[in-house]
Amino acid sequence: MFGKIFCNIIKSKRVLNERELEYKNPEEAAGGLVRRDIIPASFRGSVRIRQVDAGSCNACEWECIALTNPIYDVQRFGVDFVASPRHADIILVTGPVSWSMARALEKSWLAAAEPKIVIACGDCAADGGVFRGSYAVAGGADKIVPVAYKISGCPPSPADIIKGIRGALALLCGPHKGPEPK
Amino acid sequence: MLPRNAENYIRVQPGEFAARCAGIFHAGGRLRMMFAADERETDGFMNIYAVFSSIADHGSFDIITTAVEDEGGFRYQSITPRVPAAHWYEREMACMLGIVPEGHPDLRPLVLHDMYPEGVFPLRRDITAEDIRSKVDLARDDAYPYKTVEGEGVFEIPVGPVHAGIIEPGHFRFSAVGESIYFLDPRLFYTHKGVEKLFEQVGFERGIQLAERISGTSSFCHSTAYCLAVENMRGVDIPIRAKAVRTFLVELERLYNHIGDIGNLCAGTGFAAGYAEGAELKERLMALNHRLTGSRYLRGVNKLGGVSRDVLEDVESISAELSVVTDEFKAVMKFIMSSVSHMERLEGPGFLSREAAVKLGATGIAARASGVNDDLRTAHPNLFYDRIIFEVHTRNRGDVLARMLLRADEAACSLAMLRSILRKAKPQKKELMAADAQQDARPADISGGRQALGWVEGARGSIFYFVKAAADGKSPLRVKVRSASFCNWPLLPFTVLNDIVPDFPLINKSFNLSYSGCDM
Repeated sequence: MFGKIFCNIIKSKRVLNERELEYKNPEEAAGGLVRRDIIPASFRGSVRIRQVDAGSCNACEWECIALTNPIYDVQRFGVDFVASPRHADIILVTGPVSWSMARALEKSWLAAAEPKIVIACGDCAADGGVFRGSYAVAGGADKIVPVAYKISGCPPSPADIIKGIRGALALLCGPHKGPEPK
Repeated sequence: MLPRNAENYIRVQPGEFAARCAGIFHAGGRLRMMFAADERETDGFMNIYAVFSSIADHGSFDIITTAVEDEGGFRYQSITPRVPAAHWYEREMACMLGIVPEGHPDLRPLVLHDMYPEGVFPLRRDITAEDIRSKVDLARDDAYPYKTVEGEGVFEIPVGPVHAGIIEPGHFRFSAVGESIYFLDPRLFYTHKGVEKLFEQVGFERGIQLAERISGTSSFCHSTAYCLAVENMRGVDIPIRAKAVRTFLVELERLYNHIGDIGNLCAGTGFAAGYAEGAELKERLMALNHRLTGSRYLRGVNKLGGVSRDVLEDVESISAELSVVTDEFKAVMKFIMSSVSHMERLEGPGFLSREAAVKLGATGIAARASGVNDDLRTAHPNLFYDRIIFEVHTRNRGDVLARMLLRADEAACSLAMLRSILRKAKPQKKELMAADAQQDARPADISGGRQALGWVEGARGSIFYFVKAAADGKSPLRVKVRSASFCNWPLLPFTVLNDIVPDFPLINKSFNLSYSGCDM
């Protein structure tokens, strides 16, 4: 599974001035646009995301919602959130995966059509975060679905999430790294 | 003069418990929370606590406790038939501690879904996390008995747990006749993360990080209530500057939530321009949060005994930013209120009567928009609130519009409070941490405090913590969290009756309840 190969955690610098800039110019803060040419050819130049909350505290959700606001406006990068996993290329998981959401997460993953990837968004989805060790969580999205990429942060800021999506796609679409469509 | 915010622990016989609670409730004492603790190690039995706002002793709490002994299972007489506000608390106790409230009208499992083993109660002290993990069976089929409606033309609409938008998970089972909702049976606790047990595992200090992550948009209020509970228990009085910082950030959290919610209501009616205006203003406040605290969700500031940084240092730049927000907020409100189509949709749906709000124990915006004058900032003032004079806003209509307008009133009030705190916070008083912050509760002095409450009026309503130290005073025996959403979720099915299904997202947004805050 390509998931294991591209497992990577982004370490973003948390500098105050950078963030102040971020508000004024999120595009610049995110390191430029998600360019069409880094979106894998198999995704036809744009990606659709189904966000699945698997027990998050809702901070990651609000940051995802902020991505669609006029400041970050992620749609202009060819990235959008969709209602059904059937329409999705990326399953973006947040939360440490509570047992009660484990099956719903798995079903969402299975419902998406190939080619597809899973991105774990936030420290909880990456490894359980502060909830690791609780009786009620699996402790990370990779316990249930094959995770291709991890975005760190608690929560990752909207710019971090754009960076992460960009990073994941760049990895997948490097010269010889694009996944073979089935 | 009686001590303010005193906690009067009143122990009663098991037989008197229901009558005593009903007496206080019917005399107007609000049920703040109800929970049980497994104290078999020290006392030999479990204890139930019902926390009421005292009627006779204004500003204090009456905490009625009773023992539940093991008589081939833990049982007591349910208080729900007489105190409807207790219905979820009692179901929660049945699920988490195996204490059965006899005579409760609805004993379906509330918290733990079907994959959890039967007869294993997570909050019992003799159960470890590993015991439960090893018995969780994800393959077990979901057999939750939903309440259904039968009859000609009635059909069911199941929604969730994964919703269409970017929302937290929960399942809603609508029974509809045509477009109208005849009945709604919600099933929540999909995001149950076992936080109360985890509090016992990680100790007092790391508990702050957990409290901050119970509900993301209430991070600061939750951690403040938790810190206040532990500080009350240890008898620590935090420095005045720390109080000012906490109060400032509590109000800032309220402000960004209320403004965000007003904008989100526009998304509920498809008013894209209004939504965009609201979202942009909220983003400005999130950037301010980040500039002041290093976190967009105000995390990492609270410490036991004070705060980690002085966010009020740069008075001028904060004041300048607040005046911009004030002006923009006025403009946004004017713009939103001028949209007739939007305002018309808000009028009417999601009606919550005053009577239902009182009986079911509504809190925060939900209660105040139905004419219930209840705000912890005046009812039990802590932090800086006894130094600030302000009015508790209420509305009487009880519908979506009332909740939206109330949020606008409260946001304006919070802006005024923020400015007032900036003026009052004297820069020469610099201490941020109490000197004796790190001491543990003294094990010998039990009456002096092995247990205490902490509370904050957050954006969604009242947040309560109860903390009790183990016999050695070093680790927590029980941490009970009661978020505002836990009180308000049970109201929702009553407010949507006879409204049309497409209005449900709007009604849901008008309460803006946190799933994670409720499920924990």
